[in-house]
This record gives sequence, C-alpha cells and structure tokens, in this order.
Amino acid sequence: MNASREQEFRLSAERGDTPLLPSERVWGFWGFAYANSALAVATWVFLIGGATALFVGPLQGISAIIIGNIIGVILAASSTCLPCGKYGVEQFTFLRSMFGINGSRLVYILSVVVLTMGWLAVLGLMCGRALDNLETLVQQQPPAADDWLVPAGALLAIVLAALVAMRGPDMIRRLSAVIAPSLILIMLALMYFISQRFSLSELLAMPPLQPPFADQRINYMIAVEINIAAGFSWWPYIGNLSRLCSNQRTAFWPNLVGVFGAASLGEIVSLFAASTLGSSDPTAWMRLAGGVGFGVVALSFLALANLTGMVNILYTAVIGLRQLAGERLRSVRWGVLIALFCVIPIGIVLCFPGIYDGFFIFLVWTSALNSALAGIGIADYFFLRQQRLNLRHLYAAQADSPLRFCKGFNPIALLALVAGFAIYVVVFNPQTLANTTFFTFATASLPSCLLAGLVHYVLTRVLATRLGWGSYPAGNERNIEAAGLSAKD
Amino acid sequence: MNSQVDEARAQDLERRIRAYEELERRAHWPGALSARDVVALSLLTLVMVAGAYLLGGQP
Repeated sequence: MNASREQEFRLSAERGDTPLLPSERVWGFWGFAYANSALAVATWVFLIGGATALFVGPLQGISAIIIGNIIGVILAASSTCLPCGKYGVEQFTFLRSMFGINGSRLVYILSVVVLTMGWLAVLGLMCGRALDNLETLVQQQPPAADDWLVPAGALLAIVLAALVAMRGPDMIRRLSAVIAPSLILIMLALMYFISQRFSLSELLAMPPLQPPFADQRINYMIAVEINIAAGFSWWPYIGNLSRLCSNQRTAFWPNLVGVFGAASLGEIVSLFAASTLGSSDPTAWMRLAGGVGFGVVALSFLALANLTGMVNILYTAVIGLRQLAGERLRSVRWGVLIALFCVIPIGIVLCFPGIYDGFFIFLVWTSALNSALAGIGIADYFFLRQQRLNLRHLYAAQADSPLRFCKGFNPIALLALVAGFAIYVVVFNPQTLANTTFFTFATASLPSCLLAGLVHYVLTRVLATRLGWGSYPAGNERNIEAAGLSAKD
Repeated sequence: MNSQVDEARAQDLERRIRAYEELERRAHWPGALSARDVVALSLLTLVMVAGAYLLGGQP
C-alpha cells in the first residue's frame, strides 16, 4: 500500500470510519489528562458551581460537587471509555451493538444534537450577559435586566460561532489553546479577591442563595443531582476522545484528573464566588469581584471562552451528524448544514431566554437521558457481551449484520431507555423539582441508570436470543468463538 | 475507479478487524483494565463519597 493511501486510511480511522489501531493512537496518560482538563475547565463549570450555590452553602456544596461528579463521571466513563478505549471504535458505532444501526442514530440526535442546541443557546446567552455586564461596568450604570443587549449579544455569539465553525478545525484549535489557561487565571484571581474579603470559616458558613425547600436534605440532594448530571453530561463526548488513547487504562483514569478533578475544582471556586457575591450568574461575579480593570478583562475573556466552547461543540456535533446521517445529509454544503443547525438555538434564545437562569433544569433533563444510556451501556457491554465486541458485526452493512435487530432499531434497548427516563421523572421532576422521599437518599440518576440496565439485561436474556437479535453470547460462554470473533481464513 | 477505492477501503477495514481479533485471541490484552484497577476505583469512589458526605452531607 502506498504512503498517501495509508495516510488517507489513517485519517479515515481518526474520523471514526474504521477502528483505530493501538499503534495509531496519539494520547498517553498525561496527554489525555491535559486534553480532558482543558475540555472540563470551560465556562460551564462557572454555571454548574453557580447553580449549586442556589441550593446549598459552600460546605454542603463542596460535598455535593465531589459526590455528584465522581458518580457521574465513573458511570459515564465506564459505559463509553472502556469499550471505545479497548477497540478504538467511534462511540456511536459502538452503540450499534446495543441500539442497532438506526437506533444509534436516534440516540445521537437525542443526546448530542438536542444537548448541543441547548448548550449553544445557554452559552450564547452567557456571552450576551457578559457584554451587558461589560457595558454596565464601563458606563458605570446599574444593570438593567431587560436589556436588549443580552439577546442581541447571544445572537451575535451564535452567528460568530457558526462562521468560525464554517472555517474548520485549524481556527478552532488555535482559539482553544489559549482558553483553558485563561480561565484558570480568572479562577485564581476570583479566589484571591474572595480570600481578601472573607476568612475560610466565614466562607464555609455562607448560606445558600435561593433554597427552594425548607428541608435541607432535599436541597442537598438536588445539588448532588445537578452535579451527577454534570458528570453524566460528558457521556456523549468522552467515548470518542478515549479511542485516541493508547490503551484501555489510559482511556479511563485521566477522566478522574480532568472531567472529575479539574471540573470539580473549577466548580468549587465558582460556588465560593456565587455564595459570596450573592448571584448564580458568573457574568455578575466578574463585574462585582475585583473592580473595573479585572471586570473588563475577565468579562472579555468569558465572552471569548464561551464563543470557543460554542464553536467546539457545534463543529463536533455537525461532524457526527454528517457521519451518521448518510449520503443525503453529506451532500448538503457544510456551511448550509452549520447554519441550519443554529436555527433552533436562535429560536431558544428569542423565545426562552429564561433557559440561562434556569440552566440547571436543562442540565438535569439531560441527565434523565444520559443516566439511562449509561445503565444500558454497562449492562450490554459488561454483563451481556462480557466485554467482547464483534467488530465485523459493528461495521457490516445493516442487511448483513445481526445488529439490524428490528429495522435497525433494538426495541429492547429503546424500551429500557424509556423506562430509565420515566423512573427519573417519577422520582424527581427536573422541571418542577417535585420529588419523592426515595429521591432524598437514592438520587434520581442512580435508579434511572440501574432500572434501564436491568430492563435491558432481563429482556435481552429472555427475548433477544429467541428472536435472534444482536448475536449475544449465551449465559456462560466466554470464549472467542461464542462471540463470533475468529478471523476469516 | 470507485470500486477500486471501495475495495481498498474494505481491505483496510479487514486488516484493522483482524488486528483486534489477534489481540482477542491472546491471554492478556495489553493495557486492559485489571482487577487491581477495579479495586482501586471502588476504594477511591468509596473514600470520596463517604468523605464528602461526612464533610457536608449531613444537614
């Protein structure tokens, strides 16, 4: 094979068309830990820390951040990074093994497209708020909540993000390289200003900003749930990063440095800032914390950081959408596709600007889905397939593959997904915060993850084998032949 | 021309799948998560959750 053809195939594997070989993977432990941390330390940590401060004070908040993030990150990483890190397969190609070829497309739309559209609107509005606070700071006027600048800034941010995403990955890489270090500097500066005003004991004794319930246990558990949702929100993304790691262990452990460790630290700083400055809105902290000079610099960086985050998620989501959607969508021009993708976020900014202040509601809704997806992934990969994937089945055309299930959808996994989602909303309604007693000691994500996994496991054992779906190994078979993995002669 | 390219792609996919099938046949998969990793992860999670709960989880 000539060198250019080899290079072409390698690029194709990097994009997710084929499995990456161990020798082609670029990240070792620290490489992935750095990339992971840079992804984690973005403006969303400000929002999550600020949302936690609404429900609990700093001491309970730190507890909720650690518990929530470690649970969410470990379950999300176990269900995605371990299989993708082992076989080098693209995450939504791997999902064919449990949802079917069309089912994995549906999951992509539900988890990535919807999530990205919501985040584009939230981050766009944060940009708008940053510009509004910048104007307030420079002109030394009291802030006006109904300012036209917020939606205008949000729309401008979405349009700019779309224009940058249309330019391709080089510009994105250059922008991203400066953002994580800048945000760490902003966090350090925030901590400095806070420590100048409050002692540690004063800081830890701060009350929550707007606790909705008189019962502190419920407020605490909502804070834990928000942070579990934050951990689970990596589910759609980390599998595809982990496939670039040299092996399975390298694909797993750095998540505890980055999306757990770095994100938790950022959220704790944000929690302190929100508690001491009396607002869950990060753009207000920058205005209030350290005077005009710091405010102007920090708000400008915050706006830029949001823009970079928006470009990153927009680009990644549209790339994946093209990959999965088939020839019809691939023939649409890249710029047109990006522009079409931005229509709904623009609609959200114009019609539901409250999504920014109620950001945690949106985040927790995503957890109702992601927790069930993680449960199904764990049940399928660890317990049903016993950590062995048949790559021939994953990459076969639908007509020839045992993973065609029922017209490309696995009804069992979809039913498990609905069951997990339903139990979540019954235990804890993200919209109204209505909850059951069960929620105060079990959270909503854990029952959802467990039930979805259990439904998937039991129904697959009972029905899938009889119907010939999915080529699952029988109960105790662990050998290669049972998984149909022997090489063709 | 297209069929040649498709054939080359299919061969490349076959090569990659075979590489993993070879790995699958070995007794030990290089860099796989071991029982020691699972124990370490369980202990870490337990310490983090219990420690954080004792720190601030009791209203």
